[in-house]
Amino acid sequence: MGGRAMQTEMNPGKGDRQTVLVCCGTGCTANGGREVFKAFSQSLQHHPEIEVLPVVKATGCNGWCEKGPLVRLIPKDITYCSVAPADVDEIISKTLLQGVPVKRLLYRDPVSKEHLTSHHLTDFYRKQHKIALRNIGEIDPGQIDDYIQRGGYQALQKALLGMERQEVIDTIKAAGLRGRGGGGFPTGQKWQACRNAAGNPKYIICNGDEGDPGAFMDRSIMEGDPHTVIEGMCLGAYAVGAARGYIYVRDEYDLAVQYLRQAIDDARQRGYLGKNILNSELSFDIELVRGGGAFVCGEETALLASIEGRVGEPHDKYVFPTEKGLWGKPTVINNVETWANVPVIMLHGAESFAAIGTDKSKGTKVFSLVGKVVNTGLVEVPMGTTLREIIYEIGGGVLKKRSFKAVQTGGPSGGCIPAALLDLPIDFDSLTEAGSMMGSGGLIVMDDHTCMVEVARYYVSFLAGESCGKCTPCREGIRALLEILTRICEGQGSIEDLDLLEDISVTMQQASLCALGRTAPNPVLSTLRYFRDEYLEHIQQQRCPAGVCRALSVFHIDPEICNGCGVCVRHCSVNAIRGEKKQVHVIDESICIHCGECYRQCAFDAIKLR
Amino acid sequence: MMKINVNGQQREAHAGESILDLCRREGIPIPTFCYHQAFGGQGACRMCMVEIKEEGQTRSRMVAACTYPLTQPAEITTESEQILRIRRTIAMLLARRADKNALLETMCQKYGASRLPAIVVEPANCILCGLCIHACAEMGKSAIWSMFRGVDKRIATPYDEASDDCMGCAACAQVCPTQAIKVEEEGAVRRIWNKTFALVACTRCGKPYATRDELDYLGQHGDFGQEKLCEACRRKTLAANMQTFQA
Repeated sequence: MGGRAMQTEMNPGKGDRQTVLVCCGTGCTANGGREVFKAFSQSLQHHPEIEVLPVVKATGCNGWCEKGPLVRLIPKDITYCSVAPADVDEIISKTLLQGVPVKRLLYRDPVSKEHLTSHHLTDFYRKQHKIALRNIGEIDPGQIDDYIQRGGYQALQKALLGMERQEVIDTIKAAGLRGRGGGGFPTGQKWQACRNAAGNPKYIICNGDEGDPGAFMDRSIMEGDPHTVIEGMCLGAYAVGAARGYIYVRDEYDLAVQYLRQAIDDARQRGYLGKNILNSELSFDIELVRGGGAFVCGEETALLASIEGRVGEPHDKYVFPTEKGLWGKPTVINNVETWANVPVIMLHGAESFAAIGTDKSKGTKVFSLVGKVVNTGLVEVPMGTTLREIIYEIGGGVLKKRSFKAVQTGGPSGGCIPAALLDLPIDFDSLTEAGSMMGSGGLIVMDDHTCMVEVARYYVSFLAGESCGKCTPCREGIRALLEILTRICEGQGSIEDLDLLEDISVTMQQASLCALGRTAPNPVLSTLRYFRDEYLEHIQQQRCPAGVCRALSVFHIDPEICNGCGVCVRHCSVNAIRGEKKQVHVIDESICIHCGECYRQCAFDAIKLR
Repeated sequence: MMKINVNGQQREAHAGESILDLCRREGIPIPTFCYHQAFGGQGACRMCMVEIKEEGQTRSRMVAACTYPLTQPAEITTESEQILRIRRTIAMLLARRADKNALLETMCQKYGASRLPAIVVEPANCILCGLCIHACAEMGKSAIWSMFRGVDKRIATPYDEASDDCMGCAACAQVCPTQAIKVEEEGAVRRIWNKTFALVACTRCGKPYATRDELDYLGQHGDFGQEKLCEACRRKTLAANMQTFQA
């Protein structure tokens, strides 16, 4: 991919040099982005009439995974959605050669029905404010020059050549940057503590062990703009006086490992890592560590244990890692997204960063918007944006125009926020107050076909396998919660179970060793707080109002509504639905396995719950 | 020394001393499952949660007494409604793993814990306090460790096979608060962790007292005398020696 770009750079020609950016983030790659990239590279060879060959670049994730593979043409600023290799020739002959857009590949606004030439015009992008994701989709993550061309490593230069170490920390403090990994701890304060701590050497760690189901913001940054992480860490190293850094990457993130490894090598070659960086007093190098595949290793003390080669179990953090961290030495651990913000703050100053966001949460936050929402993908918005803006304006609302029920934020140990709180401006504190948390920024939208008891059960079952099992409240508490929730979903629950759930949850919150255990009951407590009626319906009326819990869902077809379209028949896996076309259909209760597929598929809501 | 107020009474603590160490020294009861003075605090069972408010802090917070180091004057409460609730819940949850065990029985009664249905764990009665792991590691062996994670976590030798590292010293069994680790002895043979060991008899009383592997290992790590003596006979010899020394 790099070779192609270089060829054209060595071949300066007449006219505008065009750039074709093909999204090869994980989502687009899964949809054939790599094939589209190859098709462009190959097809362009067969067009001798093109005087100046366009540069074709494979970029990181643009975030708009729903519409991938995305292809963007610069400088015309044209964005094509869902591009297949078969479309490439048409794009070349029409757009690259004649400057005419291929209308059928443009995004069509669902409301105005207009075809929009650029993604910048869509609601999905218009409302976003990109800081951490500023380069992703714009550059080839494998090319250090791409990063440098967009202002990369200038912040490092600025700091090393003209700022005292304390000034760097003061800038981060003034910017009000808080840790993006979940806790929201003030980054400047963390760096200051590490700088002040006695002990040498000091360490800088990037936590890239992103493990929340449905979350992919850190992966996108590591895959799409690895140098911003490296530059951020260099700045941190200079500020606290560290000589060695580690990037701890989730083992499953192959592409991220590949790009980070290359980026570290390239940065070393250019003198951004190693001895006397940019001829300054800073000597700093980074080592890549692949995680061992445990969710809990995202917890910083467990992460430290894992790097040291011990079992990835947390220990009490009464003495912070900034004082006693890796091998007992002062250590700063920040998450990928936090590091990605650092160069921007250093280059453009604290004020411009602090001008964005809310009173106590500055800047932007990247969210992975998934679930029952029209536009799934990665979005970066200023802190204080409301859930409604994210889900309805950027996300385009709930799929199939169903009604919104809840949004789950903050990963498996976050909470479920109901429709009544859709206008909540989200920041670290507002989410905690609502019984959920920012976490690393997962947003999972749920519609009225979602059972909240089952949701709580699902998250607790995830945590049952991911708790490290060291402390009693987390290990045994999760086990008990899971048993009780399963019981309720199966129609065996009792009213006393609700008290037991609360009792165990409170002990887990207060007594668990690490944040995983302390937040593990959030899915239970938040659903009990906002959806208690659903729990009661499961227990007292033996009914699952969403038609999800099989033991409590009995379906029948309303003959007044059914028009005999046959969709339910096609989706029934056990052939339990009978009826002639255009005639009223009937469910055979003796065969039905209560999976609810017909209930969810019927476009006319003709299938009813008992 | 720092002034620490525990339950309304002034005490003095060394800098860096854990809350639990202070309280044990001062005779203030705090229940624990996973603490052994030989290994220090692990913060695993969470039975020892107490409330602490350090100088300058406005609110007290809940911490594990065994791992919290005292570094400044503070007020500590070792029994409150919240603390008792935590202990009650932990006793209730752990009792499921060892439902007929006397220690858990006592704790449940003491804190008024209701009983939940027992669960099957391996080894039976193991409450995963982790003391056995520490004992084995402290012996320099680490033949056992925790396997898996979350609700599947358990203590075992690698792949549940007889471990080359295990020397049958049974230090693990000795520190186990619920007697969960099985040590079977028959004649001059000991069986533990799926491995069989030959026992050596005490040269004085003739009672089999330690495994051959253990004595060999100890021999490599120090001079413990030529005579192979069981604990009781060693004590007697020592006492006799002391008498001659005095005379």
